Amino acid sequence: MLKNKNVLLLMLVAVFLVFGVFGCGGPATPPADEDAGEEPAAEFEGEVLLGIMVPTTGSEASDGGDMENAALLAVEEINAAGGVLGHKIVTSTGDDGCDPSKATAAASKLISEEVFSVVGGYCSGATLPTLKLYGDAGIPFVIAASNATTLIDENPGWAFMINSTGDAQAAKALEWFEGLGVETISLVDDGSAFSVDLKDQTKAAWEAAGYAVLTEDRVETGTQDFSAVVTKIMDAGPDAVYWTAYQGLGALLIMQLRQNGYEGIIMVGDGSSAQELIDLAGPDAEGVYCTAPPKVDFLPAAQDFISGYKEMFPREPGAYAGLMRDATYLLVDAVERAGSFDGEAIKAALAATDSFEGLSGPVEFTPQNTLNRSNFVIIVAKDGKWALAE
Amino acid sequence: MTFWEIFLQQLFNGLLIGSFYGLVAIGYSMVYGIIKLLNFAHADIYMSGAFVGLITLSLFANTFVGNAWLGIVLSLLISMLLVGMLGVLIQRVAYRPMLKAPRLSILITALAVSMLLYNTVMLLTQGQYKPFRTGLTHDSFFVGPLRLTETRVVLLVAAIALMIILHLFITRTMYGKAMRAISLDRDTCQLMGINVFQIVAITFFVGSALAAAAGIMAGVYYGTVHFYMGFLIGLKAFTSAVIGGIGIIPGAMLGGLLLGLLESFSTQIPFVGTVWKDVFSFVFLILFLLFRPTGILGRAESERM
Repeated sequence: MLKNKNVLLLMLVAVFLVFGVFGCGGPATPPADEDAGEEPAAEFEGEVLLGIMVPTTGSEASDGGDMENAALLAVEEINAAGGVLGHKIVTSTGDDGCDPSKATAAASKLISEEVFSVVGGYCSGATLPTLKLYGDAGIPFVIAASNATTLIDENPGWAFMINSTGDAQAAKALEWFEGLGVETISLVDDGSAFSVDLKDQTKAAWEAAGYAVLTEDRVETGTQDFSAVVTKIMDAGPDAVYWTAYQGLGALLIMQLRQNGYEGIIMVGDGSSAQELIDLAGPDAEGVYCTAPPKVDFLPAAQDFISGYKEMFPREPGAYAGLMRDATYLLVDAVERAGSFDGEAIKAALAATDSFEGLSGPVEFTPQNTLNRSNFVIIVAKDGKWALAE
Repeated sequence: MTFWEIFLQQLFNGLLIGSFYGLVAIGYSMVYGIIKLLNFAHADIYMSGAFVGLITLSLFANTFVGNAWLGIVLSLLISMLLVGMLGVLIQRVAYRPMLKAPRLSILITALAVSMLLYNTVMLLTQGQYKPFRTGLTHDSFFVGPLRLTETRVVLLVAAIALMIILHLFITRTMYGKAMRAISLDRDTCQLMGINVFQIVAITFFVGSALAAAAGIMAGVYYGTVHFYMGFLIGLKAFTSAVIGGIGIIPGAMLGGLLLGLLESFSTQIPFVGTVWKDVFSFVFLILFLLFRPTGILGRAESERM
């Protein structure tokens, strides 16, 4: 009798745990199929399933949600215009949680659902292990945001990166620092693949140009106290501090630097380019520079997209929404050029992309499947908003 | 900065972060002392405390314009009360029915409560960082070479004051005496007419309230709160409790301060830096525990509380 009671309790606990764990996977996924009944006019030959892989939970859920929304919006527009090759696109979202193990699970889920292609990819560390999975399954993957240079080596040829890679960003940072007369810098990363990559690239470019990197530091995700790092930086006294990771910790670093009396230049990488950084850091964020991806707010071609986005979702499109929209359109464009949903054909068509006009500018790929130009801009926090720095 | 200036600055940094560790570590230690449970949910209580503080503070946002500290203290007290009651509720629902069950079962319910709190807050906040606006300025002043802000000094003093009050509560009141007695021998206490369940509930109330206080202080100090904020500090506070001698409250405080200082100073050691600081601190702690397995204040046969 007692045994039975214990078993029952254990089962209850198990149910509880499962609920807890899978609670992580479920939320913030706007209904993908909502638009199913809204197309009375268009006649489709069939449906094709497009995979979206972004973090919809975890610390980067905010940008990930924006990207998912952008893809949903693009898909709705494409379907309204007759779909692709006469087929209606439906979507399935895999939540990579900005975490390599969750990303692997998300990729496996999308592969088992037999998606014809995947768009997405935000955290490079999470995107990295999925490249081989998609490659083995023969599924083309258009990477909208992830841009660590480590992705290039791991790419079996099925992934296409439409965001400029880390070295293009480091070059932009170098150029801007030089323009400001900066001679010494301190670098801070959070240990994630993307931020370490950007830090290494910046360091290499900076030292090659003959300047000095005074300190290199790392903070852990989940920590709040940067006082030891800040004391080190204050001691070294660099002209500028460059933060290469995401906005949550970035805001903490900015606040703690300013609270400790650091008056030099602060610049953050594209992972911190969301409005959230300024909202979190408040007045301390004023004057902070950012090497940013081409955000829709600054793109004249994107005004229709912004209004369409705000109509469909009650929020501002984030930093990567424009790139995600471009990724989705590029993929559809490639399918139409390929004339089939066959993976090999789409892959060949993507590689042969020639001056595809996206919101963020023309897309063409290098032989390594990376964007053949730098698309970074410098923005600055001014009166509580990001603005293009002149 | 000269060597001594850096030394003093890092000393202060270490004391402040260490006192946060200490406040959270006390909760682990008290609960372990009294019912031998590693309360996994404690880190999430800390996080919940910060969020309850954020909500109560926003309620007072327009009441105490110009006197930020009054609002902070009031919301600190209210949140400590609320989160203390949350701790009691968790204890009543998830732990008390399990006291006679095998030790592992109660460990699992603790894990489940942790998951529940963590995921609930994640869903409610959509995983986003939330700004913790207090209206405090961060004008700094110098004491000798040491750069301080009003916020930092007040927080350090408050943390130490809370620890002293707790110490007096444990050593000078009947409730404290009952807690110490229960940690020695629960069954005998019951026979002697001590209401064990009531004392266990009080223990959870006090431990949770202190964690909530630490959570709010972290919010005030760092300016943002996040559903993930309890994870790392929970691990480190638990470590602090073990180094100090688990179950011994002054030990938890000492352990917290020791870990804070270790982390802060290790970043200054060449080749350790911020990248290797945790490796360094934890290697040190492994060595320490090898030579002193019962922790700083622990004795092989000691009264645990």
